[in-house]
Amino acid sequence: MRNYVLRRLLVAVPSLLIASLIVFTLPRLIPGDVVQLMLQEKAYGKDLEDLRAKLGLNRPIPVQYVDWLAAVARGNLGESLWTRQPVLNELARRLPVTAILGVMALGVAILIGIPVGVVSAMRPDGLVDFVARSGAILGLSVPAFVTAILVTLLPAIWWGWTPRARFVEFSSGPVAYGLQFVLPAIILGIASAAGIMRLTRGMLLEVLRQDYVRTAWAKGLRGRVVVLKHALKNALIPVMTVLGLQVAAITGGAVIIEWIFGIPGMGQFLVDAIVQRDYPVIQGINLVIVTVIVVTNLTVDLVYAVLDPRIRY
Amino acid sequence: MANSVETLAAGQALPPRAWRVPPLARLTLQFARRKPLGAIGGVIVLALLIMAVFADRIAPHAYDESIPAARSKPPSAQFWMGTDNLSRDVWSRVVYGARISVTVGFATVALATIMATAIGVSSAYLGGAYDLAVQRVVDAWMSFPALVVILSLMAALGPGLPNLIFALSIIGAASASRVIRGATLSVMASPYVEAARALGAGHVRIVIFYVLPNVMATVIILATIGLGTVILAESGLSFLGFGVPPPYPSWGAMLSGSGRSYMYYAPWMALFPAAAISMAVFGFNMLGDALRDVLDPRLRGSGRSPSGL
Amino acid sequence: MDSAPSNQGVSRRTALKVGAGALALGVAGLGRAPECAEAQTPKRGGVLRLTFQADPVHFDPHQTISFVTMVPLSFVYSRLVKVKAGPAVKPMTYPIEPDLAESWTQPNDTTYVFKLRRGVRWHPKPPVNGRELTAADVKYTYERFLTIAGNPNKPVLEYVDKIEAVDKYTVKFTLKEPNAWFLDLLASTSTWIIAKECVEKFGDLKKVESVVGTGPWMLERWEPNVRLSYVRNPNYFVSGLPYADGVDVLIDKDPASRLATWLSGKSDFGPEYQHAVRWLDAPVARQRKPGLQTAEYTWLTSGAIGFKLANPPFNDLRVRRALGRATNVAEVFESLAFSQGHWTPNPIVPAAFAEWSIPIDQLGPEGRKLYEFNTAEAKKLLAEAGHPNGFKTAVEAPAAVYGPDFDDFVQIIIKNWKAAGIESDLKLKEYGAFISSTIFGKFDGMFIGLRGAWADPEAYFYRWYMPGQPLNVWGVNDPKLTDMIKLQRRTFDVAKRKQVIYDIQRYVADQGLFGPDGSIRILSAWDAHIKNYGPNNGFDYGGRLMAAWIDK
Repeated sequence: MRNYVLRRLLVAVPSLLIASLIVFTLPRLIPGDVVQLMLQEKAYGKDLEDLRAKLGLNRPIPVQYVDWLAAVARGNLGESLWTRQPVLNELARRLPVTAILGVMALGVAILIGIPVGVVSAMRPDGLVDFVARSGAILGLSVPAFVTAILVTLLPAIWWGWTPRARFVEFSSGPVAYGLQFVLPAIILGIASAAGIMRLTRGMLLEVLRQDYVRTAWAKGLRGRVVVLKHALKNALIPVMTVLGLQVAAITGGAVIIEWIFGIPGMGQFLVDAIVQRDYPVIQGINLVIVTVIVVTNLTVDLVYAVLDPRIRY
Repeated sequence: MANSVETLAAGQALPPRAWRVPPLARLTLQFARRKPLGAIGGVIVLALLIMAVFADRIAPHAYDESIPAARSKPPSAQFWMGTDNLSRDVWSRVVYGARISVTVGFATVALATIMATAIGVSSAYLGGAYDLAVQRVVDAWMSFPALVVILSLMAALGPGLPNLIFALSIIGAASASRVIRGATLSVMASPYVEAARALGAGHVRIVIFYVLPNVMATVIILATIGLGTVILAESGLSFLGFGVPPPYPSWGAMLSGSGRSYMYYAPWMALFPAAAISMAVFGFNMLGDALRDVLDPRLRGSGRSPSGL
Repeated sequence: MDSAPSNQGVSRRTALKVGAGALALGVAGLGRAPECAEAQTPKRGGVLRLTFQADPVHFDPHQTISFVTMVPLSFVYSRLVKVKAGPAVKPMTYPIEPDLAESWTQPNDTTYVFKLRRGVRWHPKPPVNGRELTAADVKYTYERFLTIAGNPNKPVLEYVDKIEAVDKYTVKFTLKEPNAWFLDLLASTSTWIIAKECVEKFGDLKKVESVVGTGPWMLERWEPNVRLSYVRNPNYFVSGLPYADGVDVLIDKDPASRLATWLSGKSDFGPEYQHAVRWLDAPVARQRKPGLQTAEYTWLTSGAIGFKLANPPFNDLRVRRALGRATNVAEVFESLAFSQGHWTPNPIVPAAFAEWSIPIDQLGPEGRKLYEFNTAEAKKLLAEAGHPNGFKTAVEAPAAVYGPDFDDFVQIIIKNWKAAGIESDLKLKEYGAFISSTIFGKFDGMFIGLRGAWADPEAYFYRWYMPGQPLNVWGVNDPKLTDMIKLQRRTFDVAKRKQVIYDIQRYVADQGLFGPDGSIRILSAWDAHIKNYGPNNGFDYGGRLMAAWIDK
């Protein structure tokens, strides 16, 4: 067991390093000089070079990479090229916001996905299954921003009211703060709910075919007990592996939802940074996201190893 | 289907068996009866393909044709889905949009499949240090949220249909390669392959005649569901401005472009493409699910092998 | 734009000695004056709430030209002279009035002397802490303006030779050459007076803490992606102003969401730039908001179509004219959600400069024809130029950054051209790539973009057509044009200058150097309880709101 854990941790390190390399190079592939962008329509020949030097962008790329990596190790993610605000400060403000949105969306996904998946598996190809699966697919196939726009704009036109208002800070009241995430989290979570529901259904269906389940039935245990006690536990294990992917998916979907609901999270920040070629910000955000996902996957793997006694390395 | 308790590892395929071509018609009917949802999905997919291939015949107008005196008209007998603010027939644009979605979808999935198969099969077959290194890169790649990668790639490459296809396929390839690797691993462990090797079959022969056919089921299922995902992804990208560029009438662009501005005033501009997206995703997913149920009940993969190695 | 009345008899010097703003001539048919401008007793109190579509990039006015920074700064800073605001000012006219300068004189063509107001205090915020503003501040500001690396606003004042603080309240500007636009340029929004202590303490003015000015409000807080909030400056040098206690700017990138916010009463002004509401949404808005006050006028933003004169086929005048005739601008504005058919055609000087833009019917015969859509004529011209079957050209445009309306605009233009035989190979570029290459001339064929960032009419032909200017991507080097441009800069008499500029516009249109294009006549809207407000073009939101009050 310990060997497995150690090995798994060891394996995560090169992944992170490679990820950091990707994180660093990806934005620099994008054409469009950030300095020219800053000066927009009015760049003057000499000024460009001055500005570039001021921002440290005229050093060779490997030098910049190593500098950056060293700084990150010291906990310094650099400053935004545009606003000069430290990247870490901005992230510290926005990460919790996106995290709350993401966690709530994941919660919605699990709360809807698993029960519906269970019910669906208990009576496969029946009416409930049909409705559940169709509903799930519809939920995930209607683009989130359509729903979001309808939800914010129509009430304003019909009744002069809109759920979207100025973003409330935590200090103004934790309840209000939490409530404003509910609607966006639901819209964001529905797509993931579909995936989780189908996976739960599939896994459960498969487990229910196994010998040990048959044995339980033969022993005379009631269907529901069998399902919940024995089968579900085993079926949920692979579902957990999906969570890692769902985190990635939700992070991506969060961008659009944040945009429409005016939630100052990392998604909007990242899109702006990409358009403006704000390399330190892009790198900082990507690094944080990647680390979160790698850590999530790592945790899931370890939990999986603990839960499933058959996995031993 | 074997009843013995086996490791619930996602991504494992059935033990390989000899490959016969079954009578197609009987199979189709059996399929329809056992899996009605899948059959419905199949019908939708078929309709989509017909629309895509025969768009020129089905659509009454060209997709960028401005019809005089027909600006923002609601659905009517003449314009089944109304017209948009540039006086174009929405129904024609939806039909041509099927062509775009199918093209982008199939090209993306094809490219992703080729990449994933190459990576997954080679990684599993060659093993050793190569496998370790490749899997680390795939790990790192998969840690990026798809949207981040696509945005960066699209910003780097610029707008354009081939760039979009490339960016989308890179995402799919990473996770699919994991699944295929898992499937390859289990095929290689089977007694058939051992026997073939004992008989002196070369690597290429083994890969082509044993590994690939048995991995094919996996690939088909991944591809079918992937098509639905690609279509959705494109509409999200259009919203952020990185999707299929004009004048191509992609559903996503119709929905998030002027369709969005006119949502309250001329809802047909946005609602019909949205419905088209939903139907297509629904169809592909139902079909893929049913195929999965039928071809490989043990394949409930999310794309992650639990071993992580 | 000079504010002196254009009587022939009044000498320029006398007119300038007066200095105080007089109303511009009421030019008929331009921007209807806002409805509802009764005299009332101002009420103090309340918070003005508006929506804005983007965060500021940062807060240093010497490091960006972007309106997303300039508009937020307009609430907190002042400059020597400003554009007069209020319901009595017709939109699209830009009369100048004193701001920090009490009066000014112009002893000769290249010297200006400004007398500052006394007792102007900086905001009571560290590190400036409410001390008095002096000529030294003005000198410091403009020296930084001209010498700091990477100031994209430099052309606004690059002809200034030196700035001297003659005494505590007197500043003297000496120009390298005469520039009749100097005062108008000083009134533009990049010329704010900044404080030395802030630059010394923070290194530059990018950080939000460094925003300390002398304007009607103080920047209290910036929550990125959420809002900017301002509170009243207790020591503002115009006593009694501002009436509103504070300003709340809600930052919201999504147009539907901004509209919903306004319709549900959470903001007091129209949701788009310059408080415009899209014509598409106007009926709903009027219905939801009884007593809504509106003003209709042409705004500054318009399309820009560029090509290189040296490259065939654009070196042939007939081809350039054909391009114009092949473009159906009216169709563009009828299709866009924002405009819904409300628009004004633009010559090279946008129609939003009512006093300087030539009415289309006063162009020469060839120039006028550019604005008459006629595909058959276009084909004929092309055939005469040796392209009987049209030609193919690459066209670069930015993708998706300006919204679906711009994308539609590009599609319509390309479709128009195709009908005349001009095949466009559309190359869409991501915004950053477009700005850093195409704008500076790195393109083959043509490009389609937007223009409207400059606050003075001269820039629209100076920057594009003067040889040596970085934005002269066309490669124009026409001695006749160059002479006219130089001449208008030296012509202080308003009427004579207008004639020269009219001549420039006629010439440019005649030579096909500028394709037909237009700007939207926007509907600017504000709630019934906002009094004493009048909209206008320009980034100076603060200047236009400082004398407004809330009557609830």
